[in-house]
Amino acid sequence: MSQSPRTILPLTRRDLADSWRGLLGWTAGVTGAIFLYVPLYSSFSGENAGFDEIISSLPEGLASTLGFEDLSSGAGYVQATYLGLIGFVLFTIAATLWSSAAIAGDEESGSLELTLAHGVSRVQVMAERSLGVILRLVWLATVSTLLILALNDSSGIALEPINVIGGCLTLLALGVLAASFGLAVGAITGRRAYASAAAAGISLVGYVLNSLGNQSADVEWLHTLSPYHWAFGNSPLSNGADAGALGLLFGISALALVIGGFVFTRRDVSA
Amino acid sequence: MTLAIETRALTKRYDRHTALDGMDLAVETGSVFGMIGPNGAGKTTAMRLLLDIIRPTSGGATVLGRSPISGGAALRREIGFLPGELLLEGRVTGRSLLKHYAEISGPVAAGRIDELAERLGLDLSRHVRKLSKGNKQKLGLVQAFMHEPKLLVLDEPTSGLDPLVQQEFLSMVREAQHNGQTVFLSSHVLSEIQNAADKVAVLRNGVIVKVGDVASLRASAVRRVFVDFADASAASIQSTLAALPNLDHLTVTDGDVVQVTGTVEGHIDALVKAIAPFHVVDLRVEEQDLESSVIDLYSKEANK
Repeated sequence: MSQSPRTILPLTRRDLADSWRGLLGWTAGVTGAIFLYVPLYSSFSGENAGFDEIISSLPEGLASTLGFEDLSSGAGYVQATYLGLIGFVLFTIAATLWSSAAIAGDEESGSLELTLAHGVSRVQVMAERSLGVILRLVWLATVSTLLILALNDSSGIALEPINVIGGCLTLLALGVLAASFGLAVGAITGRRAYASAAAAGISLVGYVLNSLGNQSADVEWLHTLSPYHWAFGNSPLSNGADAGALGLLFGISALALVIGGFVFTRRDVSA
Repeated sequence: MTLAIETRALTKRYDRHTALDGMDLAVETGSVFGMIGPNGAGKTTAMRLLLDIIRPTSGGATVLGRSPISGGAALRREIGFLPGELLLEGRVTGRSLLKHYAEISGPVAAGRIDELAERLGLDLSRHVRKLSKGNKQKLGLVQAFMHEPKLLVLDEPTSGLDPLVQQEFLSMVREAQHNGQTVFLSSHVLSEIQNAADKVAVLRNGVIVKVGDVASLRASAVRRVFVDFADASAASIQSTLAALPNLDHLTVTDGDVVQVTGTVEGHIDALVKAIAPFHVVDLRVEEQDLESSVIDLYSKEANK
């Protein structure tokens, strides 16, 4: 019998071909956020900008909740505005939408049935769809890295390039964590709503635990439970990416995907 | 005789209801096998089990000699499947979508997609989401047939197709059979598949109530009859016909022409012989939708 010409990653390529328009929009969003915030540093920062005074005039607790304690340094500013806030929100939303659509959304729309009726295994569907989501997040992280590097001198944030890469890699790790939860819960339940809740939930819980932990020494232990704090607690833009934190985030992500794929291969798929 | 599909007490239960209840089915290699039954009878459930989209609660199936579960992707590459509810979306052209499905199914001969699309009158350059239901169905048929699989599993293949395209579909089925392919198809309207199928199984509430060829099913079907008599009294006709065991729903309307209607189960021989002594102005026999009449028949038997 003649063997079908096997092509490389047919499902991932299909995903990327289907989603490039959306990805263009997300790229514009990330670009817009970076161009909006990073150049502003030069007008706010420095000895005379009085940024610290603005911060100290904020109600107690608000600055620490938002992670705004250190806005006067370039690293602190980019961390507080983009990496830890707008970028984190954008990555979380993108990861939530993409991961919940990849398996659960496809299943609810009825398209997954036809794909699975072809010559693909469930493990292959899970792996290739997950790869498709992760590649899109990698793209957004790459765009973030390149734009921040491009604005590094003109904005005066003066970051070490290796730390910009490390910071964006850390942001990517948080996005991949959210996406993995969404993919896994989608693969286990087949329900888009549950997948979305899982992806957005892990990001939100991490953020809230970090913010609570910032409030006082009594509750600082909450940091140990917060993926957000694992990622950003050591200020990667100043100190470089924390290899341990990256390993933990990517490791948990991989574990979630494996568990999701394991259940996915053993359950009924419904239209 | 080899079997393309064999199921043994194949059962699928969900929390409360049993979608498929101990189905035993044997589909010979190279045959065209139809499965009819009302919506919810278990047709789609049976097909999904064969494709390993869902797993049986108990019992088992053998498809092309292998279990659907252990056969996996390699087995499914030899099957062409058309789902009952075909939902195609995306901002891609039909050609691009078919190219994708060709990558994840068996090898597709060059020019095969265009040939099938032309036969069915499908424009491959249009975006999938803008296609009408009928055109989406054609696209679904092309992806099922294009790799010339050993087994075609087609859930409601004719739904949404206009009569001319249905004819083309039937000739595609015959060609497939001629090539030695096996076709397993379902419908809730038997008339749509009775010309294609060698054998038909009637499914009701997850149970096969009858398996037979189309002719034997038709012989047992219920027909509506209309007879007009002249020069006869309504009373004498009434008394003659009321004695016939397989005539139901008898109505007799008196007048210059006495009009009689009723339904006949099975052969109409007894009726024809009973009315022969009278002056018959007109006799019409209408076949009910065969599937519903067969279902009527068996639900009546079940209630007896």
